[in-house]
Amino acid sequence: MNTITRRRTIVWCLPALAFLATPSLAQMHPERIAELEEQVSALTEQLGELSAELDEAKDSEGLDGLRKDVEANKVAIQATQSATTFTDATSVAHLSGYASADYVSVEDGPSAFIANFNPMFHFLYDNKILWEAELEVEVEENGDTSIGLEYTTVDWFLNDKLTLIAGKFLSPIGNFRQNIHPSWINKLPSAPPGFGHDGAAPISEMGVQLRGVAPMGSSKLTYAFYMGNGPKIEGEDGEIHAIEAEGFASDPDDEKVFGGRVAFLPIPSLEIGVSGATGDVSVVEDDGMDIEGDPKRGYDVIGLDASYRWRNLDLRGEYVSQEIDENPLSIAPEGGKWETWYAQAAYQFADGKWEGVVRYTDFDSPHADDTQEQLALGVNYLITPSAMLKFGYESNTGEPGEVTDADRWLIQIAYGY
Amino acid sequence: MKTNTLTLVPVAVITVLLGLGLMAAQAPAIAEEASAQNDPMKFANGAKTWADNCARCHNMRDPKSLRDDQWRAAVAHMRVRAGLTGEEAENVLVFLQQSN
Repeated sequence: MNTITRRRTIVWCLPALAFLATPSLAQMHPERIAELEEQVSALTEQLGELSAELDEAKDSEGLDGLRKDVEANKVAIQATQSATTFTDATSVAHLSGYASADYVSVEDGPSAFIANFNPMFHFLYDNKILWEAELEVEVEENGDTSIGLEYTTVDWFLNDKLTLIAGKFLSPIGNFRQNIHPSWINKLPSAPPGFGHDGAAPISEMGVQLRGVAPMGSSKLTYAFYMGNGPKIEGEDGEIHAIEAEGFASDPDDEKVFGGRVAFLPIPSLEIGVSGATGDVSVVEDDGMDIEGDPKRGYDVIGLDASYRWRNLDLRGEYVSQEIDENPLSIAPEGGKWETWYAQAAYQFADGKWEGVVRYTDFDSPHADDTQEQLALGVNYLITPSAMLKFGYESNTGEPGEVTDADRWLIQIAYGY
Repeated sequence: MKTNTLTLVPVAVITVLLGLGLMAAQAPAIAEEASAQNDPMKFANGAKTWADNCARCHNMRDPKSLRDDQWRAAVAHMRVRAGLTGEEAENVLVFLQQSN
């Protein structure tokens, strides 16, 4: 019998004894009365001792330990409930992205440290809708910070194989822009010439896209079809300076661009993609000034890409061209074609801790000062699977005297989180 | 007129595809996911899909690098990017959540 039970017994016994004794107290024998008084006295003394023991126990380590155990259990229960909430909640949020810090040294030219930061946001509701977005935060040469919206889309999973995407999305033309360009994925510190801004490959698009997959036994077909506002043309000195294909929230020519990509994967490690787009575009900027009413002209894109992985060897290549028709009534009447291609091989060794990379790129532009051939070599140290320290060297051949003709050394630390 | 006709063709194609998609089964809900966690075949198929697809573009990330809930969002993102079916994505999620 524990202390509390014993005390309860005594507490209940005292009034019971008193009740039983009271009515017949006068008729009872004096010896019996004395005996009862003795019992009551003993019980009272015992009750006092038990009360003292209980008070002492309240301050003892045992009870404190018990209290701590109870509190710890409460915390554990709360933690379990939180974990369950994270796992089973209808909607989940996830912050990811990538960042890099670079050192670039141009031969016979300046060198500089640069950095950028690309946070990505994912909000998923019940495996039905995913909203995702990526910001591009960069420190510019003058010290200002620029923030761009790389993409923001609502992805509606219509069924097991089809997804409807709306918003600003990465261009499905080719594979580099939509899948390979993040610094923690790209195996060299720089993008191949022509795959950056104002190059030959479209960057992004504003509109709607249907993406799907058609499994065919051990093979697979993936596809993406889109409709968007299309790019804008930037004019300079009466000719087209560049095609800006970065997902604008306006469509000055009022003609949508339609495009897509179909990729065939005969085996999981081999992917062959064909892509294209067509529509109209118009000049919206000339010599840095916004202009309106320039007549529209045809715009066509073609892309081919392939990738193959065999053990530690990774091979990939891609061709993209953008072509603008001429229009004699335009402020920049001549058309032009921007095209680029690259081939890259990478091999991981020393248990995947080190990687060697070689890439050749040939970018042609209507402007001789943009045209560039590049042979890039790289050695990477994989700090973790998603963090790389990259050492690169670019042998560049362009218009003599232009920046495209200068060789470069690059060091980059990139981290995908 | 020619331009309008050309515009209508892809819009019609997209609409038809959208309709076909909506008529097909919807993506599995969370409740179905819970039972999937106990299916050993999903774990095995998920491991294979993970090995076959992720390295096509980037290095394989450690399953322990994210929590269960974070993998849910990350795998949904990769379902779109890598061209996975809903079932493949679900299998990969089972594998990652049981391996982290």
